[in-house]
Amino acid sequence: MKSSTMEKALGAMTIVVILAALEMAVRSGYVNAALTPSPSVVLAKTAGIVVAGSLWEPLRSTLYLLFTAYLLGSFLAIGLGLLMGRIQALYDLFEPLIEFLRPLPKPALLPPLILFLGLGDAMKLTVVGMGVFFPVLVNTIQGVRGTDPVKLAVARTLGHSRASALVSVVLPSALPMIFAGLRVSLGLGLILVVIAEMLAGTGGVGYLIIDMQRSFQVANMYAWILILAVIGFSLNYLFLQLERRAIPWAIPSSS
Amino acid sequence: MLNMVQPYLELSGIQKTFGTGLLQTEALGHIDLSVVEGEFLAIVGPSGCGKSTLLQIAAGLTPASAGTVHFNGLAVNEPPLGIVYLFQQYGNSLFPWRTVLANVAFAVEHKPGMTRDRARAHSLRYLEMVGLADVAHRYPWQLSGGMQQRVTIARALAAEPRILLMDEPFSSVDALTRLELHALVLDLWTRHRFTAVLVTHDVDEAVFLADRIAVLSSRPSKVSKVIDTALPRPRDSISTSESARFLSLRHEILSMLLGRPA
Repeated sequence: MKSSTMEKALGAMTIVVILAALEMAVRSGYVNAALTPSPSVVLAKTAGIVVAGSLWEPLRSTLYLLFTAYLLGSFLAIGLGLLMGRIQALYDLFEPLIEFLRPLPKPALLPPLILFLGLGDAMKLTVVGMGVFFPVLVNTIQGVRGTDPVKLAVARTLGHSRASALVSVVLPSALPMIFAGLRVSLGLGLILVVIAEMLAGTGGVGYLIIDMQRSFQVANMYAWILILAVIGFSLNYLFLQLERRAIPWAIPSSS
Repeated sequence: MLNMVQPYLELSGIQKTFGTGLLQTEALGHIDLSVVEGEFLAIVGPSGCGKSTLLQIAAGLTPASAGTVHFNGLAVNEPPLGIVYLFQQYGNSLFPWRTVLANVAFAVEHKPGMTRDRARAHSLRYLEMVGLADVAHRYPWQLSGGMQQRVTIARALAAEPRILLMDEPFSSVDALTRLELHALVLDLWTRHRFTAVLVTHDVDEAVFLADRIAVLSSRPSKVSKVIDTALPRPRDSISTSESARFLSLRHEILSMLLGRPA
Protein backbone atom coordinates (compact mmCIF):
# COMPACT_ATOMS: atom_id res chain seq x y z
CA MET A 1 0.00 0.00 0.00
CA LYS A 2 2.69 2.44 1.04
CA SER A 3 4.92 1.60 -1.90
CA SER A 4 1.99 1.98 -4.33
CA THR A 5 1.35 5.52 -3.01
CA MET A 6 5.07 6.17 -3.37
CA GLU A 7 5.04 4.92 -6.97
CA LYS A 8 2.08 7.12 -7.83
CA ALA A 9 3.80 10.15 -6.30
CA LEU A 10 6.91 9.51 -8.41
CA GLY A 11 4.81 9.21 -11.57
CA ALA A 12 2.96 12.45 -10.82
CA MET A 13 6.29 14.16 -10.19
CA THR A 14 7.50 13.36 -13.71
CA ILE A 15 4.46 15.07 -15.20
CA VAL A 16 4.78 18.12 -12.93
CA VAL A 17 8.49 18.50 -13.74
CA ILE A 18 7.88 18.34 -17.52
CA LEU A 19 5.03 20.85 -17.33
CA ALA A 20 7.08 23.19 -15.14
CA ALA A 21 10.05 23.00 -17.53
CA LEU A 22 7.78 23.73 -20.48
CA GLU A 23 6.16 26.64 -18.65
CA MET A 24 9.58 28.18 -17.92
CA ALA A 25 10.84 27.57 -21.45
CA VAL A 26 7.84 29.38 -22.93
CA ARG A 27 7.91 32.28 -20.46
CA SER A 28 11.63 32.85 -20.90
CA GLY A 29 11.17 32.97 -24.68
CA TYR A 30 13.18 29.87 -25.58
CA VAL A 31 10.09 28.36 -27.19
CA ASN A 32 7.82 30.20 -29.62
CA ALA A 33 4.62 30.87 -27.65
CA ALA A 34 2.62 31.28 -30.84
CA LEU A 35 3.16 27.61 -31.70
CA THR A 36 3.56 26.26 -28.17
CA PRO A 37 1.50 28.15 -25.63
CA SER A 38 2.51 27.61 -22.00
CA PRO A 39 0.75 24.83 -20.06
CA SER A 40 -0.92 27.46 -17.86
CA VAL A 41 -2.49 29.11 -20.91
CA VAL A 42 -3.68 25.76 -22.29
CA LEU A 43 -5.15 24.81 -18.91
CA ALA A 44 -6.93 28.18 -18.72
CA LYS A 45 -8.37 27.68 -22.21
CA THR A 46 -9.49 24.16 -21.29
CA ALA A 47 -11.18 25.45 -18.15
CA GLY A 48 -12.81 28.15 -20.29
CA ILE A 49 -14.23 25.54 -22.66
CA VAL A 50 -15.64 23.55 -19.75
CA VAL A 51 -17.06 26.60 -17.94
CA ALA A 52 -18.65 28.04 -21.10
CA GLY A 53 -20.40 24.70 -21.67
CA SER A 54 -19.00 24.35 -25.18
CA LEU A 55 -17.41 21.03 -24.21
CA TRP A 56 -20.61 19.00 -24.12
CA GLU A 57 -21.88 19.06 -27.69
CA PRO A 58 -18.60 17.88 -29.35
CA LEU A 59 -17.99 15.41 -26.51
CA ARG A 60 -21.49 13.97 -26.83
CA SER A 61 -21.10 13.64 -30.60
CA THR A 62 -17.71 11.89 -30.38
CA LEU A 63 -18.69 9.53 -27.54
CA TYR A 64 -22.02 8.68 -29.19
CA LEU A 65 -20.22 7.61 -32.37
CA LEU A 66 -17.58 5.72 -30.44
CA PHE A 67 -19.97 3.78 -28.18
CA THR A 68 -22.48 2.96 -30.90
CA ALA A 69 -19.82 1.64 -33.26
CA TYR A 70 -18.00 -0.08 -30.39
CA LEU A 71 -21.07 -1.94 -29.18
CA LEU A 72 -22.20 -2.95 -32.67
CA GLY A 73 -18.72 -4.03 -33.80
CA SER A 74 -18.01 -5.94 -30.58
CA PHE A 75 -21.31 -7.79 -30.48
CA LEU A 76 -20.99 -8.90 -34.09
CA ALA A 77 -17.37 -9.92 -33.50
CA ILE A 78 -18.13 -11.91 -30.33
CA GLY A 79 -21.08 -13.67 -32.00
CA LEU A 80 -19.16 -14.58 -35.14
CA GLY A 81 -16.06 -15.43 -33.09
CA LEU A 82 -17.97 -17.91 -30.91
CA LEU A 83 -19.37 -19.63 -33.99
CA MET A 84 -16.07 -19.64 -35.89
CA GLY A 85 -14.23 -20.93 -32.84
CA ARG A 86 -16.63 -23.84 -32.42
CA ILE A 87 -17.57 -24.74 -36.00
CA GLN A 88 -14.58 -25.73 -38.10
CA ALA A 89 -16.42 -25.28 -41.42
CA LEU A 90 -17.22 -21.64 -40.61
CA TYR A 91 -13.64 -21.08 -39.55
CA ASP A 92 -12.34 -22.51 -42.82
CA LEU A 93 -14.81 -20.37 -44.80
CA PHE A 94 -13.96 -17.00 -43.25
CA GLU A 95 -10.44 -17.26 -41.86
CA PRO A 96 -8.53 -16.33 -45.08
CA LEU A 97 -10.82 -13.35 -45.76
CA ILE A 98 -10.38 -12.14 -42.19
CA GLU A 99 -6.62 -12.55 -42.31
CA PHE A 100 -6.61 -10.42 -45.47
CA LEU A 101 -8.85 -7.62 -44.14
CA ARG A 102 -7.54 -7.53 -40.59
CA PRO A 103 -4.09 -5.98 -41.22
CA LEU A 104 -5.51 -3.34 -43.59
CA PRO A 105 -5.19 0.07 -41.88
CA LYS A 106 -8.83 1.07 -41.53
CA PRO A 107 -8.32 4.82 -42.28
CA ALA A 108 -7.51 3.72 -45.87
CA LEU A 109 -11.20 2.83 -46.18
CA LEU A 110 -12.33 6.37 -45.41
CA PRO A 111 -12.15 7.66 -49.01
CA PRO A 112 -14.33 4.87 -50.48
CA LEU A 113 -16.67 4.99 -47.49
CA ILE A 114 -17.13 8.74 -48.01
CA LEU A 115 -18.01 8.00 -51.65
CA PHE A 116 -20.67 5.53 -50.65
CA LEU A 117 -21.98 6.94 -47.38
CA GLY A 118 -21.15 10.66 -47.49
CA LEU A 119 -19.77 12.61 -44.53
CA GLY A 120 -22.42 11.76 -41.97
CA ASP A 121 -22.65 9.35 -39.04
CA ALA A 122 -23.14 6.27 -41.26
CA MET A 123 -19.62 6.62 -42.67
CA LYS A 124 -18.05 7.25 -39.25
CA LEU A 125 -19.92 4.40 -37.58
CA THR A 126 -18.85 2.04 -40.35
CA VAL A 127 -15.15 2.80 -40.19
CA VAL A 128 -15.03 2.76 -36.38
CA GLY A 129 -17.13 -0.40 -36.27
CA MET A 130 -14.78 -2.15 -38.69
CA GLY A 131 -11.76 -1.09 -36.66
CA VAL A 132 -13.34 -2.42 -33.47
CA PHE A 133 -14.56 -5.62 -35.10
CA PHE A 134 -11.29 -7.34 -36.01
CA PRO A 135 -9.32 -7.37 -32.74
CA VAL A 136 -12.40 -8.58 -30.86
CA LEU A 137 -13.12 -11.24 -33.49
CA VAL A 138 -9.59 -12.62 -33.59
CA ASN A 139 -9.33 -12.71 -29.79
CA THR A 140 -12.75 -14.33 -29.42
CA ILE A 141 -11.80 -17.10 -31.86
CA GLN A 142 -8.52 -17.68 -30.04
CA GLY A 143 -10.23 -17.67 -26.66
CA VAL A 144 -12.88 -20.14 -27.82
CA ARG A 145 -10.35 -22.46 -29.42
CA GLY A 146 -8.22 -22.31 -26.30
CA THR A 147 -11.01 -23.65 -24.08
CA ASP A 148 -9.56 -26.29 -21.77
CA PRO A 149 -10.57 -29.74 -23.12
CA VAL A 150 -10.92 -31.04 -19.55
CA LYS A 151 -13.62 -28.44 -18.83
CA LEU A 152 -15.46 -29.41 -22.04
CA ALA A 153 -15.25 -33.08 -21.04
CA VAL A 154 -16.65 -32.21 -17.60
CA ALA A 155 -19.64 -30.63 -19.35
CA ARG A 156 -20.10 -33.76 -21.47
CA THR A 157 -19.85 -36.28 -18.65
CA LEU A 158 -22.31 -34.23 -16.60
CA GLY A 159 -24.79 -34.33 -19.48
CA HIS A 160 -24.63 -30.77 -20.83
CA SER A 161 -25.60 -30.26 -24.47
CA ARG A 162 -23.26 -28.51 -26.93
CA ALA A 163 -25.36 -25.35 -26.71
CA SER A 164 -25.32 -25.43 -22.94
CA ALA A 165 -21.55 -25.97 -22.89
CA LEU A 166 -21.12 -23.01 -25.27
CA VAL A 167 -22.85 -20.67 -22.85
CA SER A 168 -21.65 -22.19 -19.56
CA VAL A 169 -18.10 -23.24 -20.42
CA VAL A 170 -16.81 -21.86 -23.72
CA LEU A 171 -17.98 -18.26 -23.35
CA PRO A 172 -16.67 -17.74 -19.81
CA SER A 173 -13.41 -19.50 -20.73
CA ALA A 174 -12.95 -17.11 -23.64
CA LEU A 175 -13.91 -13.97 -21.69
CA PRO A 176 -10.38 -12.99 -20.61
CA MET A 177 -9.24 -13.12 -24.25
CA ILE A 178 -12.38 -11.32 -25.40
CA PHE A 179 -11.74 -8.57 -22.86
CA ALA A 180 -8.16 -8.20 -24.06
CA GLY A 181 -9.52 -7.69 -27.59
CA LEU A 182 -12.17 -5.25 -26.33
CA ARG A 183 -9.50 -3.19 -24.63
CA VAL A 184 -7.37 -2.94 -27.77
CA SER A 185 -10.48 -2.07 -29.75
CA LEU A 186 -11.48 0.72 -27.39
CA GLY A 187 -8.22 2.56 -28.06
CA LEU A 188 -8.43 1.81 -31.76
CA GLY A 189 -12.03 3.02 -31.88
CA LEU A 190 -11.12 6.36 -30.33
CA ILE A 191 -8.30 6.83 -32.87
CA LEU A 192 -10.66 6.07 -35.75
CA VAL A 193 -13.43 8.37 -34.50
CA VAL A 194 -10.97 11.26 -34.33
CA ILE A 195 -9.55 10.56 -37.81
CA ALA A 196 -13.04 10.23 -39.30
CA GLU A 197 -14.14 13.48 -37.66
CA MET A 198 -11.05 15.29 -38.92
CA LEU A 199 -11.68 14.11 -42.47
CA ALA A 200 -15.45 14.63 -42.48
CA GLY A 201 -15.25 18.10 -40.95
CA THR A 202 -18.76 18.04 -39.57
CA GLY A 203 -18.24 18.14 -35.80
CA GLY A 204 -16.90 16.32 -32.78
CA VAL A 205 -13.66 16.63 -30.82
CA GLY A 206 -11.51 15.48 -33.76
CA TYR A 207 -13.02 18.11 -36.02
CA LEU A 208 -12.44 20.87 -33.45
CA ILE A 209 -8.74 20.02 -33.10
CA ILE A 210 -8.15 20.42 -36.82
CA ASP A 211 -10.52 23.43 -37.04
CA MET A 212 -8.63 25.27 -34.29
CA GLN A 213 -5.35 24.59 -36.08
CA ARG A 214 -6.68 25.93 -39.37
CA SER A 215 -7.98 29.09 -37.71
CA PHE A 216 -4.69 29.61 -35.79
CA GLN A 217 -6.32 29.23 -32.38
CA VAL A 218 -3.29 27.27 -31.22
CA ALA A 219 -4.04 27.35 -27.47
CA ASN A 220 -7.56 26.11 -28.14
CA MET A 221 -6.17 23.35 -30.36
CA TYR A 222 -4.00 22.14 -27.48
CA ALA A 223 -6.96 22.46 -25.10
CA TRP A 224 -9.01 20.06 -27.26
CA ILE A 225 -6.02 17.69 -27.51
CA LEU A 226 -5.82 17.74 -23.71
CA ILE A 227 -9.56 17.02 -23.52
CA LEU A 228 -9.09 14.10 -25.91
CA ALA A 229 -6.25 12.75 -23.75
CA VAL A 230 -8.47 12.93 -20.67
CA ILE A 231 -11.22 11.09 -22.58
CA GLY A 232 -8.81 8.33 -23.60
CA PHE A 233 -7.44 7.99 -20.09
CA SER A 234 -10.92 7.91 -18.52
CA LEU A 235 -12.23 5.34 -20.99
CA ASN A 236 -9.31 3.05 -20.26
CA TYR A 237 -9.79 3.50 -16.51
CA LEU A 238 -13.50 2.75 -16.74
CA PHE A 239 -12.76 -0.29 -18.89
CA LEU A 240 -10.32 -1.68 -16.31
CA GLN A 241 -12.95 -1.23 -13.59
CA LEU A 242 -15.51 -3.08 -15.72
CA GLU A 243 -13.02 -5.86 -16.48
CA ARG A 244 -12.24 -6.27 -12.79
CA ARG A 245 -15.91 -6.88 -12.10
CA ALA A 246 -16.59 -9.05 -15.14
CA ILE A 247 -13.67 -11.48 -14.96
CA PRO A 248 -12.30 -11.33 -11.39
CA TRP A 249 -10.78 -14.83 -11.71
CA ALA A 250 -8.52 -13.71 -14.55
CA ILE A 251 -7.20 -10.52 -12.94
CA PRO A 252 -3.97 -11.05 -11.01
CA SER A 253 -4.71 -9.79 -7.51
CA SER A 254 -2.32 -8.83 -4.73
CA SER A 255 -4.11 -10.93 -2.08
CA MET B 1 -19.79 -65.34 -6.18
CA LEU B 2 -19.36 -61.88 -7.73
CA ASN B 3 -18.75 -63.36 -11.16
CA MET B 4 -22.19 -64.90 -11.23
CA VAL B 5 -23.97 -61.53 -11.10
CA GLN B 6 -25.10 -59.92 -14.37
CA PRO B 7 -22.40 -57.42 -15.44
CA TYR B 8 -23.50 -53.80 -15.00
CA LEU B 9 -20.81 -52.20 -17.11
CA GLU B 10 -19.23 -54.47 -19.67
CA LEU B 11 -16.17 -53.73 -21.78
CA SER B 12 -15.72 -56.27 -24.59
CA GLY B 13 -12.73 -56.50 -26.89
CA ILE B 14 -11.74 -52.85 -26.36
CA GLN B 15 -8.81 -51.77 -28.49
CA LYS B 16 -7.33 -48.32 -28.90
CA THR B 17 -4.61 -47.26 -31.31
CA PHE B 18 -3.20 -43.75 -31.59
CA GLY B 19 -1.78 -42.23 -34.77
CA THR B 20 -1.41 -43.85 -38.17
CA GLY B 21 1.29 -45.52 -40.27
CA LEU B 22 4.75 -45.74 -38.74
CA LEU B 23 3.73 -43.58 -35.79
CA GLN B 24 0.85 -45.87 -34.91
CA THR B 25 0.93 -47.10 -31.33
CA GLU B 26 -1.35 -49.69 -29.91
CA ALA B 27 -2.32 -48.54 -26.41
CA LEU B 28 -5.03 -51.01 -25.49
CA GLY B 29 -4.56 -54.50 -26.88
CA HIS B 30 -7.80 -56.31 -26.27
CA ILE B 31 -9.55 -55.59 -23.01
CA ASP B 32 -12.46 -57.56 -21.63
CA LEU B 33 -13.68 -56.35 -18.27
CA SER B 34 -16.97 -56.62 -16.42
CA VAL B 35 -18.05 -54.37 -13.59
CA VAL B 36 -20.65 -55.67 -11.16
CA GLU B 37 -23.36 -53.35 -9.85
CA GLY B 38 -22.44 -51.83 -6.51
CA GLU B 39 -18.85 -53.02 -6.42
CA PHE B 40 -15.66 -51.03 -6.03
CA LEU B 41 -13.31 -52.02 -8.84
CA ALA B 42 -9.76 -50.74 -9.13
CA ILE B 43 -7.73 -50.85 -12.33
CA VAL B 44 -3.96 -50.76 -11.83
CA GLY B 45 -1.20 -50.89 -14.38
CA PRO B 46 2.22 -49.50 -15.25
CA SER B 47 2.29 -45.87 -16.33
CA GLY B 48 1.52 -45.40 -20.02
CA CYS B 49 -0.53 -48.59 -20.22
CA GLY B 50 -3.66 -46.69 -21.21
CA LYS B 51 -5.61 -46.99 -17.96
CA SER B 52 -7.05 -43.49 -18.29
CA THR B 53 -7.90 -44.03 -21.95
CA LEU B 54 -9.76 -47.19 -20.99
CA LEU B 55 -11.74 -45.28 -18.39
CA GLN B 56 -12.56 -42.51 -20.88
CA ILE B 57 -13.83 -45.11 -23.32
CA ALA B 58 -16.00 -46.59 -20.56
CA ALA B 59 -17.37 -43.08 -19.89
CA GLY B 60 -18.24 -42.53 -23.56
CA LEU B 61 -15.81 -39.60 -23.69
CA THR B 62 -13.37 -41.22 -26.13
CA PRO B 63 -14.31 -43.64 -28.93
CA ALA B 64 -12.64 -47.05 -28.92
CA SER B 65 -10.84 -48.24 -32.07
CA ALA B 66 -12.60 -51.56 -31.69
CA GLY B 67 -14.85 -53.24 -29.16
CA THR B 68 -17.99 -52.27 -27.32
CA VAL B 69 -19.08 -50.81 -23.99
CA HIS B 70 -22.44 -51.71 -22.53
CA PHE B 71 -23.99 -50.02 -19.52
CA ASN B 72 -27.04 -51.74 -18.11
CA GLY B 73 -27.45 -53.54 -21.44
CA LEU B 74 -27.25 -50.42 -23.64
CA ALA B 75 -24.31 -49.59 -25.93
CA VAL B 76 -22.27 -46.57 -24.81
CA ASN B 77 -21.09 -44.19 -27.56
CA GLU B 78 -21.69 -40.84 -25.92
CA PRO B 79 -21.50 -40.06 -22.18
CA PRO B 80 -24.64 -41.78 -20.87
CA LEU B 81 -26.89 -40.53 -18.12
CA GLY B 82 -25.81 -42.39 -15.01
CA ILE B 83 -22.07 -42.53 -15.62
CA VAL B 84 -19.91 -39.69 -14.36
CA TYR B 85 -16.17 -39.34 -14.91
CA LEU B 86 -14.04 -37.76 -12.20
CA PHE B 87 -10.90 -36.16 -13.58
CA GLN B 88 -7.42 -36.35 -12.14
CA GLN B 89 -6.80 -32.65 -12.86
CA TYR B 90 -9.11 -31.08 -10.28
CA GLY B 91 -7.60 -27.67 -11.01
CA ASN B 92 -8.61 -27.85 -14.66
CA SER B 93 -11.96 -29.45 -14.09
CA LEU B 94 -13.32 -26.71 -11.81
CA PHE B 95 -14.64 -23.47 -13.30
CA PRO B 96 -12.75 -20.50 -11.83
CA TRP B 97 -15.58 -18.11 -12.71
CA ARG B 98 -18.04 -20.00 -10.54
CA THR B 99 -18.22 -20.20 -6.76
CA VAL B 100 -17.75 -23.61 -5.17
CA LEU B 101 -21.52 -23.94 -4.84
CA ALA B 102 -22.12 -22.95 -8.47
CA ASN B 103 -19.47 -25.44 -9.57
CA VAL B 104 -21.39 -28.24 -7.86
CA ALA B 105 -24.68 -26.92 -9.24
CA PHE B 106 -23.25 -27.38 -12.74
CA ALA B 107 -24.02 -31.08 -12.28
CA VAL B 108 -27.77 -30.53 -12.00
CA GLU B 109 -28.77 -27.03 -13.16
CA HIS B 110 -29.49 -28.20 -16.74
CA LYS B 111 -31.76 -31.06 -15.71
CA PRO B 112 -35.38 -30.70 -16.87
CA GLY B 113 -37.61 -28.98 -14.34
CA MET B 114 -34.68 -27.83 -12.20
CA THR B 115 -34.98 -24.40 -10.62
CA ARG B 116 -32.08 -22.28 -9.45
CA ASP B 117 -33.10 -22.62 -5.81
CA ARG B 118 -33.49 -26.38 -5.99
CA ALA B 119 -30.13 -26.75 -7.73
CA ARG B 120 -28.48 -24.70 -4.98
CA ALA B 121 -30.15 -26.61 -2.15
CA HIS B 122 -29.23 -29.92 -3.78
CA SER B 123 -25.63 -28.81 -4.29
CA LEU B 124 -25.31 -27.58 -0.74
CA ARG B 125 -26.31 -31.02 0.57
CA TYR B 126 -23.45 -32.58 -1.41
CA LEU B 127 -21.01 -29.93 -0.22
CA GLU B 128 -22.02 -30.77 3.34
CA MET B 129 -21.24 -34.44 2.66
CA VAL B 130 -17.67 -33.60 1.71
CA GLY B 131 -17.40 -31.13 4.59
CA LEU B 132 -17.19 -27.98 2.50
CA ALA B 133 -20.51 -26.23 3.20
CA ASP B 134 -18.65 -23.39 4.91
CA VAL B 135 -16.70 -22.49 1.76
CA ALA B 136 -19.69 -22.72 -0.60
CA HIS B 137 -19.42 -19.08 -1.59
CA ARG B 138 -15.69 -18.99 -2.13
CA TYR B 139 -13.99 -19.52 -5.47
CA PRO B 140 -12.07 -22.74 -6.27
CA TRP B 141 -8.74 -20.93 -6.55
CA GLN B 142 -9.13 -19.80 -2.97
CA LEU B 143 -9.05 -23.43 -1.75
CA SER B 144 -6.26 -25.96 -1.20
CA GLY B 145 -5.73 -28.80 -3.68
CA GLY B 146 -7.35 -31.37 -1.40
CA MET B 147 -10.39 -29.15 -0.92
CA GLN B 148 -10.65 -28.57 -4.67
CA GLN B 149 -10.67 -32.31 -5.28
CA ARG B 150 -13.40 -32.67 -2.66
CA VAL B 151 -15.45 -30.10 -4.61
CA THR B 152 -15.11 -32.19 -7.78
CA ILE B 153 -16.18 -35.28 -5.82
CA ALA B 154 -19.23 -33.40 -4.50
CA ARG B 155 -20.03 -32.24 -8.04
CA ALA B 156 -19.71 -35.75 -9.49
CA LEU B 157 -21.94 -37.22 -6.77
CA ALA B 158 -24.46 -34.36 -7.05
CA ALA B 159 -25.23 -35.74 -10.52
CA GLU B 160 -26.33 -38.90 -8.63
CA PRO B 161 -24.43 -41.30 -10.90
CA ARG B 162 -25.02 -45.03 -10.92
CA ILE B 163 -21.36 -45.47 -11.81
CA LEU B 164 -18.54 -43.16 -10.76
CA LEU B 165 -15.40 -43.52 -12.87
CA MET B 166 -12.37 -42.06 -11.09
CA ASP B 167 -9.16 -41.29 -12.96
CA GLU B 168 -6.33 -41.16 -10.41
CA PRO B 169 -8.28 -38.61 -8.39
CA PHE B 170 -5.92 -38.76 -5.41
CA SER B 171 -2.59 -38.63 -7.21
CA SER B 172 -1.91 -34.91 -6.99
CA VAL B 173 -2.64 -34.26 -3.32
CA ASP B 174 -0.27 -34.77 -0.40
CA ALA B 175 -0.09 -38.14 1.38
CA LEU B 176 -2.19 -37.26 4.44
CA THR B 177 -4.87 -35.56 2.36
CA ARG B 178 -4.93 -38.66 0.18
CA LEU B 179 -5.73 -40.89 3.18
CA GLU B 180 -8.52 -38.51 4.20
CA LEU B 181 -9.95 -38.56 0.68
CA HIS B 182 -9.80 -42.38 0.63
CA ALA B 183 -11.86 -42.53 3.81
CA LEU B 184 -14.27 -39.92 2.45
CA VAL B 185 -14.82 -41.76 -0.83
CA LEU B 186 -15.31 -45.10 0.94
CA ASP B 187 -17.82 -43.51 3.28
CA LEU B 188 -19.76 -41.90 0.40
CA TRP B 189 -19.65 -45.16 -1.57
CA THR B 190 -21.01 -47.08 1.43
CA ARG B 191 -23.83 -44.61 1.96
CA HIS B 192 -24.83 -43.94 -1.65
CA ARG B 193 -24.36 -47.40 -3.13
CA PHE B 194 -23.05 -46.29 -6.49
CA THR B 195 -20.68 -48.48 -8.49
CA ALA B 196 -17.10 -47.25 -8.31
CA VAL B 197 -14.31 -47.80 -10.82
CA LEU B 198 -10.94 -46.36 -9.88
CA VAL B 199 -7.91 -46.11 -12.12
CA THR B 200 -4.67 -45.73 -10.19
CA HIS B 201 -0.97 -46.56 -10.25
CA ASP B 202 -0.91 -46.68 -6.47
CA VAL B 203 -1.18 -50.34 -5.44
CA ASP B 204 -1.80 -49.55 -1.75
CA GLU B 205 -4.67 -47.29 -2.72
CA ALA B 206 -6.20 -49.95 -4.97
CA VAL B 207 -5.97 -52.69 -2.33
CA PHE B 208 -7.28 -50.43 0.42
CA LEU B 209 -10.34 -49.24 -1.52
CA ALA B 210 -11.41 -52.00 -3.89
CA ASP B 211 -13.41 -55.22 -3.85
CA ARG B 212 -11.65 -56.38 -6.99
CA ILE B 213 -8.51 -55.25 -8.73
CA ALA B 214 -7.88 -55.61 -12.46
CA VAL B 215 -4.15 -55.62 -13.19
CA LEU B 216 -3.20 -54.40 -16.67
CA SER B 217 -0.01 -55.30 -18.51
CA SER B 218 2.15 -52.72 -20.27
CA ARG B 219 1.10 -51.66 -23.78
CA PRO B 220 -0.52 -52.96 -25.82
CA SER B 221 -2.23 -53.67 -22.55
CA LYS B 222 -4.42 -56.58 -21.63
CA VAL B 223 -6.01 -57.59 -18.35
CA SER B 224 -3.35 -59.82 -16.76
CA LYS B 225 -5.41 -60.81 -13.77
CA VAL B 226 -8.49 -59.83 -11.79
CA ILE B 227 -7.97 -60.27 -8.05
CA ASP B 228 -10.69 -60.44 -5.40
CA THR B 229 -9.29 -58.51 -2.44
CA ALA B 230 -11.57 -60.21 0.12
CA LEU B 231 -10.59 -57.66 2.73
CA PRO B 232 -13.25 -57.06 5.39
CA ARG B 233 -15.15 -53.76 5.56
CA PRO B 234 -15.30 -51.23 7.05
CA ARG B 235 -11.68 -50.56 6.30
CA ASP B 236 -9.40 -48.41 8.38
CA SER B 237 -6.62 -46.14 7.11
CA ILE B 238 -4.14 -47.56 9.60
CA SER B 239 -5.08 -51.11 10.61
CA THR B 240 -6.32 -52.41 7.24
CA SER B 241 -3.00 -51.65 5.61
CA GLU B 242 -1.18 -53.57 8.35
CA SER B 243 -3.19 -56.78 7.92
CA ALA B 244 -1.53 -59.91 6.52
CA ARG B 245 -4.06 -60.12 3.68
CA PHE B 246 -3.35 -56.50 2.63
CA LEU B 247 0.41 -57.14 2.59
CA SER B 248 0.14 -60.35 0.58
CA LEU B 249 -2.12 -58.66 -2.01
CA ARG B 250 0.30 -55.76 -2.21
CA HIS B 251 3.17 -58.20 -2.69
CA GLU B 252 1.35 -60.12 -5.42
CA ILE B 253 0.28 -57.04 -7.43
CA LEU B 254 3.58 -55.22 -7.13
CA SER B 255 5.40 -58.36 -8.28
CA MET B 256 3.19 -58.50 -11.35
CA LEU B 257 3.68 -54.82 -12.15
CA LEU B 258 7.44 -54.96 -11.65
CA GLY B 259 7.70 -58.20 -13.65
CA ARG B 260 9.16 -60.28 -10.84
CA PRO B 261 8.17 -63.81 -9.88
CA ALA B 262 5.79 -63.71 -6.93
